[in-house]
Amino acid sequence: MSILVGIDVQAIDEVEASIKEFGARYTHRLFTDDEIASCGDGPGAASGFAGRFAAKEAVLKILESNEIGPRWKSIEVRRSLGGRPEVALHGAAAEIARSQGIEEIFLSISLGGGIASATVIAQVTQGRIGARQWAT
Amino acid sequence: MGDVTVTIRDVLEAHGRLLVSLSNLSDDDDLFENGLTSHASVNVMLAIEDAFDVEFPDSLLTKSTFESIKALREALESMGVEAPSD
Repeated sequence: MSILVGIDVQAIDEVEASIKEFGARYTHRLFTDDEIASCGDGPGAASGFAGRFAAKEAVLKILESNEIGPRWKSIEVRRSLGGRPEVALHGAAAEIARSQGIEEIFLSISLGGGIASATVIAQVTQGRIGARQWAT
Repeated sequence: MGDVTVTIRDVLEAHGRLLVSLSNLSDDDDLFENGLTSHASVNVMLAIEDAFDVEFPDSLLTKSTFESIKALREALESMGVEAPSD
């Protein structure tokens, strides 16, 4: 078994400016309906979206792909019942994770100083196709 | 096609958050090496869609599409853009 680590940061004010300029076109291009509902449209929305964007980028780093578009929404950030952020992969992102033997991804998001940061740690079992978390 | 390049440069000036002046970049220079982030790429994509009334298909949403002004121009050409939107 091996471990992969990905990290990314995102300025919250940049996300706020994008939402202000592009509105729903911006959010719907990057985030799933559940993510959009989870972030809401209140004063903390930009922080929520920034954390999720950083998480998606951190996951993209461990998936080792140069694609920057279609898999934004195939990498979804969810909250566990206890409130802990989790990563759910769909479609192309799930396929890549399976092909790389990634069994599970653990996520932590932090907000502060106008920055959202995300760290992901992936558990990789070489030579084995992981199917536990990436069913669809 | 020159006017398309001008519009791309205007979009990058407004949304690219590059670390250098556009006037110092050639059409072939790597935008990511000059400060373009993934998030800024999203804004560039949306602003270009507005400027040219197009929508980038999933097949063009790769890092290579946004790596240079030339690459963006070629992407627009592949979407049928031949004249400036104004």
